[in-house]
Amino acid sequence: MPAVQETIDQVRGIDIDQYKYGFETVIEVDKAPKGLSEDIIRFISAKKQEPDWMLEWRLDAYKRWLTMEEPTWARVEYPKIDFNDIYYYAAPKNVTGPVSLDEVDPELLRTYEKLGIPLREQEILAGVQTSKVAVDAVFDSVSVVTTFKKELQKAGVIFMSISEAIREHPELIKQYLGSVVPTTDNYYATLNAAVFTDGSFVFVPKGVRCPMELSTYFRINEKNTGQFERTLIIAEEGAYVSYLEGCTAPQRDENQLHAAVVELVALDDAEIKYSTVQNWFPGDKEGKGGIYNFVTKRGDCRGARSKISWTQVETGSAITWKYPSCILRGDDSRGEFYSIAVSNGHQQIDSGTKMIHLGKNTSSRIISKGISAGVSQNTYRGQVSIHRRAENARNFTNCDSLLIGDKCGAHTVPYIEAKNQSAQIEHEATTSKISDDQKFYAMQRGIPEEEAIALIVNGFVKDVIQQLPMEFAVEAQKLIGISLEGSVG
Amino acid sequence: MNIQANQPAAKLTVAETALVEAFSAQIGDLPGNGAVAGTRDRLLDDLKTAGLPTRRIESWHYTDLKNLLRSVPEQVAGTKVSSIAPLVKGSTVLPVLQGAAHADAEIDGVTITAFRDQLSDGSAVAGLTALDKDDAIGRLNGSFVRDGLALIIPANAEIEDVIELQASHGEGQIHTRFPVSFGAGSKATIVERHRSETDAAALVSSISDLTLEDGAEITWIILQQQGAADTHLAQIRVKLGAEAKLRLYVVNAGGKLVRQELRIEVQGEGAELTLRGVNLLGGDTHTDVTLVLGHNVPHTNSTETFRNVVFDKASGVFQGMIRVAPDAQKTDAKMACNTLLMSDDGDFSVKPELEIFADDVICGHGATVADIDRNHLFYLMARGVPENKARAMLVNAFVAEIVEELEEDKLVEPLEEIISAWLDKHA
Repeated sequence: MPAVQETIDQVRGIDIDQYKYGFETVIEVDKAPKGLSEDIIRFISAKKQEPDWMLEWRLDAYKRWLTMEEPTWARVEYPKIDFNDIYYYAAPKNVTGPVSLDEVDPELLRTYEKLGIPLREQEILAGVQTSKVAVDAVFDSVSVVTTFKKELQKAGVIFMSISEAIREHPELIKQYLGSVVPTTDNYYATLNAAVFTDGSFVFVPKGVRCPMELSTYFRINEKNTGQFERTLIIAEEGAYVSYLEGCTAPQRDENQLHAAVVELVALDDAEIKYSTVQNWFPGDKEGKGGIYNFVTKRGDCRGARSKISWTQVETGSAITWKYPSCILRGDDSRGEFYSIAVSNGHQQIDSGTKMIHLGKNTSSRIISKGISAGVSQNTYRGQVSIHRRAENARNFTNCDSLLIGDKCGAHTVPYIEAKNQSAQIEHEATTSKISDDQKFYAMQRGIPEEEAIALIVNGFVKDVIQQLPMEFAVEAQKLIGISLEGSVG
Repeated sequence: MNIQANQPAAKLTVAETALVEAFSAQIGDLPGNGAVAGTRDRLLDDLKTAGLPTRRIESWHYTDLKNLLRSVPEQVAGTKVSSIAPLVKGSTVLPVLQGAAHADAEIDGVTITAFRDQLSDGSAVAGLTALDKDDAIGRLNGSFVRDGLALIIPANAEIEDVIELQASHGEGQIHTRFPVSFGAGSKATIVERHRSETDAAALVSSISDLTLEDGAEITWIILQQQGAADTHLAQIRVKLGAEAKLRLYVVNAGGKLVRQELRIEVQGEGAELTLRGVNLLGGDTHTDVTLVLGHNVPHTNSTETFRNVVFDKASGVFQGMIRVAPDAQKTDAKMACNTLLMSDDGDFSVKPELEIFADDVICGHGATVADIDRNHLFYLMARGVPENKARAMLVNAFVAEIVEELEEDKLVEPLEEIISAWLDKHA
């Protein structure tokens, strides 16, 4: 398996806390004053040239947020966040309105190059990459460039930043924004509704199979900024789209806040595949710095026979609080969740999913693989709920945890609720360490210990890696290798 | 209203107010020396401040006691109840009638004391504390407990006959305790039974406090058969010493609102726990079995299997948390919870939790919720068994399997009879 060898090389080649994406881009930035108030929200809305109804929507959310309390049920610990000590808007200067790639600050392009994000369509077309991926790149608070727009337009697919969509497709935004994650949903989602600055908007019309993978790359660059992006993906009847999301941030001592909301809507027979490789800065060896990742992701299988599938590889962030969910409203709809969560150092992960079965003959599948190393805490928290009228609902859940080292913790907290007699729910969870037998078997065939462990870990996460689009699968495997370095042997 | 005057901030529910008033009414009448009285006061204060738990408290997520416990029956004086034949023939019965213990039976070598005596002399005080900040049952029972039975089984004693702690009651409030210590190497089988004689509502709180010294081998069977209007709030606290073996069997076949907490700490290397549960749920009832199992030292084993059957509008909960402490290497813990949902109006919620801080362990849990397997049904019906009968057979087999693991016929047979009788009535 060449990928395994690659992982090993990555592990060897890189120093312990050398977060590869920890560099900072020096660039002129347009920032709102620090802090959060109605004025800041007006400022963001004005910067984005938003219509009045959007501003009202934000202000309503803000008022609501002021009355809410920060949730404390997750198994994560962190000092109290001062929400007034954060910049809620930071944008690279010179980016106003839609831009072509030539107008983008070359410094920014270099940043994305360093990150390995293909923004230059020509290169891709010239065959540098084997398959085409359209990218929306979000830098701090704004989307800097969206590639392949024209080609997508031909197919009728709308792929643009959400700020543009608010201006250009207000009818779609009004109809769908907040229809899956309402502004009142939870503390962080409400905060996001008030201050979100950018994100991606995807609309795939009836019967269209999106001709290429869509992708967004998020980067937090500025100090003390929070990133609040909002993504909305709509697949009309019979449509199909696969969407990838990646994230990085510079290495800093302070903690930075990321509170995103992702909403997916699948109508009759539509399918949405959403994949994430989350690699925010996890903090250094002593647990200093890192991103607080409080994300609300939810898909609504609104139509009959619709399908939403979440795949995530979580290796970054100091704290992850994230539960990509599926509301299986349409009859015969299907939800899937595949997750690899790797925690090392002082990372804390509390992540999982929710499968809410409302329609008849709905089914869901959850495969979660947690790997903890160092002094990290890794929690799977998932809910499967079969409502009264969800005849013949099916769920299968498998969550396995692997512990590397005796200072870390692995926890599993499933919530299973059945209210219909015909429900069929199966849940299984295991926790173990890499078995000595497996390791011995590999080593006595001449494989060094470190490689043997990498081999076993790769086998452990295989079920999930297989769900990722090919380009991401390779990246994900490398990331897992890097995340686990220093914990092996 | 004068009670609320002391606590202007907290708005008490009807049930909470009734409890606070019942406590005031009993001051001076509850057994106990000064230290016990002081502890009771503190526990009630805590209960008053925290209130009954709501679903916002994680460990009570599926049992919103504040909402579910609408009223509290008054203390009824002079209710006459009597004991019945024991579950297992030839058992020594130690009756607790309407909350009052009869400790006059004699078992060779076993010290039997009425718990009220331990309250009076203050020796009970250490055990009265609540286990944690959400321990509503500990607080309630600690405030109100009047009696119960305390047993000491000496080291290396082998008690041949089954001992049955038989708590019978009518309407009213009953708060009892059963501290039992098993000496090193001792062997015994104990049945803890809760039953009611009337259909009038009773509020029962009961805490059994089991200590197994090194190498003790104990079978403890809990049979809960309370009335259709009763509230049963129970806690089983267990400490397992080195090489100790406990077989803990729990059968719930009664009650309107039941919360049964199993709080088990495995504290000695080589200890082994076999926990089995059968929950028969019918009518318009709510039953919650919550297990918190701590594996605190290396080289310990446990298996937990629960089988639940839900009929009518019954609502069931199983929460099972296995916690493995940082140094408890080589822990082997396996938990399973299987539920048959026999009605569209019933529901069942499962929360099997693993909390693991040691790396060299094998821990797992499985949970299923399903209807009866149609293939099994078809198999029986194809052989001429009518559907309702086939269903009954399959349900019976589903739960009986658990009881059969007890292996001893004298224990298996009477339990199977009770299960069959319950199923005949509800299925």
